[in-house]
Amino acid sequence: MAFEYVKKDTPLDRMNPLVKLLFMALALLLVIQVWNVESISILLIWIAMATAWWIVGKVELRNLGFLLKLLTFLFVFLFIVQGLTYRFGDQTVIFKFFHFPIIDADTGLPVTNYGEMTVGGILYGLLIALRVVSVVTVIPIFTMTSSIARITAAFAKIRVPEKMAFMFMTAFRFVPLVQESMDNIIEAQKIRGFDLDQAGYIDKVRRAYIPIITPLLLLMFRRAMDLEVAINARAFGARKDRTYVQDVSFKTRDYLGILVVFASFGLMMYLLYIEPTYITWTYLTMLVAAVAGGLGMFFSAIGLDAAIQNLNNFLLSLPGLDVVGGYFNQYVLAGYGAVFIVVVVLLLVIWFIRRRRRRRKRARKK
Amino acid sequence: MTEDITVKVDNLTFTYERGPLALENVSFEVKKGEILGILGANGAGKTSLCFHLNGIIPTVYAGTEKGRITLCGLDPWETPILEMSQKACMVLQDPETQFTTTDVESELAFGPANLGVEREEIFRRSAWAAEVCGISGLEERKPQELSGGQKQRVALAAGLTMLPEVLILDEPTSQLDPVGTGEVFDVVNHLANTEDMTILITSHKTDEVARLATKVLVLNEGRVTDFGPPREVFEKTELLDSIGVNPPSVTSLFSKLGAKIPGFKERYEKAGGIPLTVDEAESQLKKFLDEGFIKLDWKTPPAAPSVAEEVVLEMDDVTFTYPARIPVTALKNINLQVNKGEYIAIIGQNGSGKTTLVKHFLGLLEASEGVVRIEGEDASELTVGSIAKSISLILQNPDYQLFSISVEKELEFGPRNLGLSDEEIKERVDNAMREVGLEDVRDIFPFRLSFGDRRKVAAAAGIAMDPEILILDEPTTAQDFKGRHVLCQIAARMRDQGKTIIMISHDMDLVATYADRLVIMSDARIIANGSKREVFGMDDVLKQADLKPPQITQLCRRLTDYGIEENLVTVDEMVDIFKAGGA
Repeated sequence: MAFEYVKKDTPLDRMNPLVKLLFMALALLLVIQVWNVESISILLIWIAMATAWWIVGKVELRNLGFLLKLLTFLFVFLFIVQGLTYRFGDQTVIFKFFHFPIIDADTGLPVTNYGEMTVGGILYGLLIALRVVSVVTVIPIFTMTSSIARITAAFAKIRVPEKMAFMFMTAFRFVPLVQESMDNIIEAQKIRGFDLDQAGYIDKVRRAYIPIITPLLLLMFRRAMDLEVAINARAFGARKDRTYVQDVSFKTRDYLGILVVFASFGLMMYLLYIEPTYITWTYLTMLVAAVAGGLGMFFSAIGLDAAIQNLNNFLLSLPGLDVVGGYFNQYVLAGYGAVFIVVVVLLLVIWFIRRRRRRRKRARKK
Repeated sequence: MTEDITVKVDNLTFTYERGPLALENVSFEVKKGEILGILGANGAGKTSLCFHLNGIIPTVYAGTEKGRITLCGLDPWETPILEMSQKACMVLQDPETQFTTTDVESELAFGPANLGVEREEIFRRSAWAAEVCGISGLEERKPQELSGGQKQRVALAAGLTMLPEVLILDEPTSQLDPVGTGEVFDVVNHLANTEDMTILITSHKTDEVARLATKVLVLNEGRVTDFGPPREVFEKTELLDSIGVNPPSVTSLFSKLGAKIPGFKERYEKAGGIPLTVDEAESQLKKFLDEGFIKLDWKTPPAAPSVAEEVVLEMDDVTFTYPARIPVTALKNINLQVNKGEYIAIIGQNGSGKTTLVKHFLGLLEASEGVVRIEGEDASELTVGSIAKSISLILQNPDYQLFSISVEKELEFGPRNLGLSDEEIKERVDNAMREVGLEDVRDIFPFRLSFGDRRKVAAAAGIAMDPEILILDEPTTAQDFKGRHVLCQIAARMRDQGKTIIMISHDMDLVATYADRLVIMSDARIIANGSKREVFGMDDVLKQADLKPPQITQLCRRLTDYGIEENLVTVDEMVDIFKAGGA
């Protein structure tokens, strides 16, 4: 588990989990208010501040890297979709897949062209990505610096029922158990001569994965039963006024934490509504335009631009696809089809190379 | 005198709801500060009895009860479990399932915190319990970072913080190595002697029970077979054997000598009763030998069967490291050769790398350095599935190995992967079921069986593969005396057919009886590798690995002056070398 609590003697460790929970709540509150591309700078400042918390809490920054890596796919998807469809802001075209403007019915002039990727679109994609990052960077500050015991004690303080808090704790305990059980069952099937490495995909699902579900569930039920015995034997729920060993009373440190959290949030609000700042915005636009322009130039230099457009033109000329539809024109889809084909071919090539390079295991001769 | 009796069970009969009769007319009483050992085969009703005493029955499991229980003046059926739990604390068999929290510190505090005990007091109790159980300094560990023995002691300490008057331990040591077992029993002894706690303990390890218990209760199929001081109970060795409880080896030895040599029984009875420990046996035997009452007639025990030259498994300088945040090296420079037709036992402490080692033979783990060869082929190039066609590994925990809807289907899974015909599969399945004695439960869903039976199903599934090499990982866990021997005997029969057997075990008696060669592992290395008689004589090595040779071997080594030339390992071998003295 990458985001488990590991005890480190830092101020964040000793801080009340509720403060960190507040930080998380405010991060959400901030993000839902930022929807304007020009406010990107505010998100960047917020992320920088959250990273400062990471450093104070001695949470390894490589965990942040891991998080971002997990989200890469989402980000790339956002950039592409927004780049192709968002039609506000800077309309500089970075890359042109095909030419098919949508004609405005009233004026008869071309208005939008979904075959073009624009700087404004990419920036909007960036905004959405940063909104995600703003929230995501705050979560580990809570989970990685608070022990489960402290979190439950803190929950009790804000009058979450004891049973709910215990459920939360048990869930945390069961996650690694489920993982472990699953690995073990798969191992057991291999031991019994089931060649999982060589089995076909359907065989894998039918014979290996589906049968795992039953024992896994039963194992968990059994665990739950044992747990019931264990907690009953230790008087769980005996008294309403259960003692919490963890000291979660508010200390100077916690008040200070609350102050910092609210101050940062307040600053964000100030920047957002009273003193909108576009400094980063300007720089970013320049940066994105430069990078994107460079890329576009590179693509047309190697002829990719032309190749894709030719392919698209070919696709558009195919009789079967020659259907005139509504607002979202069929041609447009056919045009993206070329991009789609190129991507699929690329993936296949990569997959094939990888497969070739991977050491294959073989069955025994005997 | 009635205040002295802490636990009194009077004619207790209990039937589980929609289930079998678990206990029938059980009566006994335990005084304050006594240790009661509860013995019996699997399914004898030991756990059901324990569940009665702390109110788990009827709170968690329901059923119908007759009779009467009094525990510290309370009736568990009338008193809410929350109150009972302060009087009687129970520690379960599997320490893993008892962890209710995520670290040791909160685990110890969990009980008293539920009772609303003051914080300072909780800290005091936790510190005391940790001290008594020898786990001070582990407070911040997570359950997965503890060894088996440590986990069990944490579970014990977590019970102690409730300050119970009665402590109930249900097979607290069945998954522990000899050292872990010793540690737990030492804590138990300390609590009874210095804290005046009443302790009830169920166990299969009779030598430990014999050493500590004030009284012993023997259960068989829910009924009390015997109840009394250990010496009186263990004397009835034949009765115990017949219900699947094995008395300490030295006790069996004396009982058998009594049958062989006329007048022997009267002698030991006069000398203080049948011995329960090696020390007692040693002093009595020496006395009898010195007096000339018995004579030693040395017979060389049968040599281990000769082994083919053919090497089937080989490890060449293998090192293995588990990748983790803090990498753990579980094997260091292991060199090992296994010849065809050998019966090898791998022994060593929990966590010394035994399971890691055998997993390499199936390709489940790949050596970080060095080569593992299976009949000359490099294991790292082979798929696990194809290796498994000739090598079977039966793992420790059956629950991870069973995934089919009936016992029959479970056993079929393996042979089907071998691509056999339906008749052949049926034959193998029938065979395997007969071997382990599971014919009656053929169509039953494996998860409905008892833990001991689930283990048997897992073993049968391995046997049905009809492997060339059979690897047993801890076949003794949660098996009673009989179950252990059944599995080992099957293995021995397979060896006679030319198959190779590797067994991992903590049970020295079992190892001594069946294996020919012993491999001792300690701290990721092999520290000894040789014939069993030779290895059980290496005191230094055994000590380094925290192992103890079987009682019989210990006794032999103390009697070498009397003409014992080689280390004997089983009771029968030892019975053979004594004969009546006289003219």
